[in-house]
Amino acid sequence: MTFNATEILEIPVGVGDITIGNLLYFVIILTLGVIVAKIVSINVRRVLSERLPKNERELLTKLINYGIIIWAFVIALPQLNFDLSGLLVAGGIVGLVIGFASQSVVSNLVSGLFLMFEHPIKIGDNINVGDVSGSVEDIRILSTVVKTYDGIYVRIPNETVFTSNITNYVHNAARRFEYQIGIRYEDDADAAIRIAKEVIATHPFALKSPAPSVFVDNLGDNSVNLTAYIWAPARNWWDVRTDLLLKIKQALEENGIEIPFPQRTVWFADGLEVKGRFAGERGKEE
Amino acid sequence: MFGRYRGSFRRECGDILVEAESVDGLLTYRRRCEGQTFERILVSKTGEVVINPVEPVNLPKDITDFLQIEFSPMIIEPGASRTVYLKFPIEIGVLVECARDIEVVDVFAPDSQKYTLYGSPTNGVITRYYESTVYPEVPLVEPFREGVMEFSIQNAYREWVEVSRVVFESTDMKIYYGDFVAATAKMKILTKTMAETDFVDAPLRPGMVKSVELYTARKIPAIDRGYLMEWGLS
Repeated sequence: MTFNATEILEIPVGVGDITIGNLLYFVIILTLGVIVAKIVSINVRRVLSERLPKNERELLTKLINYGIIIWAFVIALPQLNFDLSGLLVAGGIVGLVIGFASQSVVSNLVSGLFLMFEHPIKIGDNINVGDVSGSVEDIRILSTVVKTYDGIYVRIPNETVFTSNITNYVHNAARRFEYQIGIRYEDDADAAIRIAKEVIATHPFALKSPAPSVFVDNLGDNSVNLTAYIWAPARNWWDVRTDLLLKIKQALEENGIEIPFPQRTVWFADGLEVKGRFAGERGKEE
Repeated sequence: MFGRYRGSFRRECGDILVEAESVDGLLTYRRRCEGQTFERILVSKTGEVVINPVEPVNLPKDITDFLQIEFSPMIIEPGASRTVYLKFPIEIGVLVECARDIEVVDVFAPDSQKYTLYGSPTNGVITRYYESTVYPEVPLVEPFREGVMEFSIQNAYREWVEVSRVVFESTDMKIYYGDFVAATAKMKILTKTMAETDFVDAPLRPGMVKSVELYTARKIPAIDRGYLMEWGLS
């Protein structure tokens, strides 16, 4: 029995005039497209690694990747005897079918595209979406990947991201944080404010402008409460916050200003008799 | 201290010590400044160690490309121009260079740094902050801490304008060194709140040596287009 490869390629698959050969070419072209897309996007990423911010680089890489794949798909389509001119007519119907069949997928896709172009978040940003807080690891076509501050991987569908309230903690250049510092009533509040301001002024990233503000905010049950408002670069504010508070505490203590413990003065209407004390005194007299 | 070194060397200026020492055949770069030390083993056959002043926007952490100098307020007549001198902070860069490549090893400074915001928190930029007096002539500077900036200011606006600060993009910065560290810059006032600033690639004194910029060393492409100050001049 002779084996002829050409004949095998010409065997119809049962759908229109499509042969195994057509199907094979279709798959080969598509595979080549995917491989070329991969190679090109890897090289684009490598070339742009030091020239573009990560977010723009990833967006451009993805656009090139999907662009090449779609291009390969369009080139491969005639192998399936698919008339591209009919695509316009069929597009509407197919669109409807796809729309109903994959509503959430399309919704996520469209939301993903909007996210990429609207830029409410970028890769590396610290964000809060719904009940997820963390840094953005990747913005994909269908989903956004967030690494929580505990290092946990969370995949959020783009539709959820797009329709939720997004808090981006580093979108602006600078942000403000505050401390509550309690001092004893007998301590000099003016001196405490001056010392706190001096410590803040020595920190490189506690911004000179907007100027920090330290003031007596309220008179508490156990302490005079000072509030300090400090502006810091949005991407470094946490480092500044964790660094400064200890330094302020140390500086206050070095100057004899203490942060008081909760205390309560109790008054007894009939005085307070301590039995043990009298017994002790009697013992001494004897 | 500034210059190019091959093999072992040792330079000590006040509190700053920079040396490359060969220990058991391994060349070790070592720096001590303000009680902080830094050490790296250099594996090199043909490389040179380059020590020169670099753009002052890297310490304690590289967070911005902008430098803001605040100075005594000047009120400038429409159409007037004047050259004055300011002081600016410097950082010392240590780089290793061979025929094929250049790399940053260390950046340090004996002074502390301060940063500020130019513009609003929403649209502004974080800048390195420095205060300077306005000098009519080249002032004396503390070596390794500050440099002299020849600063030409021109009021191209139709009204009197008050200026007390200038913001530069450090990617444009051209630093020269000789007896002291120097840079040349210009500012063109466009409106009461806007001005263009840029650096001029020219030595302040003949014979000064041009520094290797960190942007060159880090191979970050930058277009010298100056900076447009949009959020006020004082």
